[in-house]
Amino acid sequence: MADIIIDHVTKRFGTFTAVDDLDIRFSDGDVTCLLGPSGCGKTTLMRMIAGLETPSSGRILFGERDVTQLPPRKRNIGMVFQYPVMYPTLSVAENIAQPLKHDRSLSRGERERRVEEVLDLLDMRKQARAFIDDLDAGSRQKVAVGRSVARQTDIVLFDEPTTNVEVNAKLQLIRTFKAVTQRLKQTIVYVTHDQTEAMTLADRIALMKDGSIVQYDAPRRLYNDPSTEFGGWFLGNPGMNFIAAERRGNQLHATILDSPLDVASDLGGGEIVLGIRPENVLMHSEPGPGSVEGRVTEQTIGIAGRNLARIAVGSAVIKVKADGPAPVAADGTVQLSFPRDRILVFRNGARVTL
Amino acid sequence: MAAVSQSGGSKVASPRKSLFDDRRILVLFLLAPVLCFFIVFNTIPTLWLLGLSFHNFSLTSGMPPEFIGFRNFVQIFYNKNNIWADLSRTFIFVGSAVSIQTALGILLGFLFWGSKNMPGRRIALTMLFTPMVLTPVATGTFWRFIYDPTFGVLNAILRGLGADHPIDFLGDPTFAYWAVVAVDCWMWTPFMTLMTLAALGSVPKAELEAAEVDRLPWWQRVRLVIWHHGKFIIMLGVLLRTIDSFKTLDLIIPMTKGGPGQQTRLVAVELNKQAFESFNMGFSSAYAVLLLLISIAMTSVFIYVLNLRRRKDSAAGGET
Repeated sequence: MADIIIDHVTKRFGTFTAVDDLDIRFSDGDVTCLLGPSGCGKTTLMRMIAGLETPSSGRILFGERDVTQLPPRKRNIGMVFQYPVMYPTLSVAENIAQPLKHDRSLSRGERERRVEEVLDLLDMRKQARAFIDDLDAGSRQKVAVGRSVARQTDIVLFDEPTTNVEVNAKLQLIRTFKAVTQRLKQTIVYVTHDQTEAMTLADRIALMKDGSIVQYDAPRRLYNDPSTEFGGWFLGNPGMNFIAAERRGNQLHATILDSPLDVASDLGGGEIVLGIRPENVLMHSEPGPGSVEGRVTEQTIGIAGRNLARIAVGSAVIKVKADGPAPVAADGTVQLSFPRDRILVFRNGARVTL
Repeated sequence: MAAVSQSGGSKVASPRKSLFDDRRILVLFLLAPVLCFFIVFNTIPTLWLLGLSFHNFSLTSGMPPEFIGFRNFVQIFYNKNNIWADLSRTFIFVGSAVSIQTALGILLGFLFWGSKNMPGRRIALTMLFTPMVLTPVATGTFWRFIYDPTFGVLNAILRGLGADHPIDFLGDPTFAYWAVVAVDCWMWTPFMTLMTLAALGSVPKAELEAAEVDRLPWWQRVRLVIWHHGKFIIMLGVLLRTIDSFKTLDLIIPMTKGGPGQQTRLVAVELNKQAFESFNMGFSSAYAVLLLLISIAMTSVFIYVLNLRRRKDSAAGGET
């Protein structure tokens, strides 16, 4: 058992609070991605789990064991760094074997077996004797992963491991990570600012902002049901559309709605915003039930060949992601409809259910 | 301007032909001040020295220099105070002083590196580096006072500890040599500490953290991580100290002048004596030429070794 329990942990650097009273549990055997923009505290949180930083207050536990004050070498963890860290004078196999060498509980045979196993897992058997200096950044990072998992520690930490790897090698590396994490039932915490990476790898994503965890959920849920405006904006490419709405009695009015939206009477005051993902907005050439008219301002081909259009509806600009191009050229008018079940309502930045 | 015309833009930039359009002339022009300085203050004196070493020329005799071929060189080896004793003394001096400085310097470097949060660290570092910036003559002079048998502070301490007789550190053949080595170490250990700190600073933090997470024992961390990144800076420090201590003179003159007997007479001390006490300019020039050759030989060996390692590393594709 190695749940990672973060018990009201705060970390301050001078007057800056990097991690603010975090309280969360990462379950045993899960791959958890810490996702968030730069400076949100995700790396600091991971370094505290590793023992490379000490919390200003609060406790960190691995299962029952309080590790808050333990140095990294006593925590029994593996870690993959942002910059592929190698022992440069050694071969690939020797690198992977290095942390095992100093574990007296392992027999020589067991050590060799584990190195072999990891080499197979990484598909690097042919390069076992190669020297680290001969490898590219992607392969080096694979070796670093091998070194970290070969010890079969309960917990393995990944600190933005693909940042310094070129794009092509990156995809392959992520595939390797996926294979490794599925094979080994270790508790994995993976820091990244790349949402695609997080979506691909994670069982659960902890979305972070300003030193706090905004939402901790499975990738799909995080994407479809963001609990905050920030979550809707940060995830997705491009992020969610937000349209200001006005509340009159039990009804919401907005430029994208042809008829008002009914809401509960206890919604409370404050700023109300409607959110809808670009791929959920439907685009037609002819008016239909519930559609509103908009003017195409820009069209581009976006991710995976999908078409991206920006359409002005009143004072709002709506991003639309569709399989085909908009039916008219720029400056033409189109009809947009917004399925009611896809519209999310936020009050003062936080999600409200209707 | 040269860059513009080189890139083929001369038509637009300047239709006039300038002397500096030729890159070689520009380079020569830019290097000229340094070259002049080097030739006037380095090349010419060296050639002058080389010429003089083949002449019999004494400043006291008033006679013009007389060409005598290799006789000065022969005399260096067949003199009754021949060069071998001075040379071996010098090599032992260099070997012992430099290795003590390196060992102590590395030790201190690691201590300072490992105590980043220690209060007063900056002041301690500043104090540690003072001996290095002092003038060697001043250092030698006040160490002579410290070592003094009658009013020196060292003997006062020994008396306090119950010693019967004062020890004449610089006058007693048993102590003189090592007393001088000790002062050289006092003066130059900080330099090796500085080099060690620079070497340790060049080790990427992530690699140290990885070694910590991987639970490598300290000697493996030093071998696999620290030495790999720091070796060139440390080796450079050893090289600089070796060349420099081969020429040690200004520290010894105020302390022992090469005595007692010939105990601390290093090659530079003998050279100084021949040139500026006996005024045998021809003979001392020959002596200097010989020392120059030895220095060049030593430096070449070091550079060869450093390059060899670098080549081996880059043959393996390293970025060091």
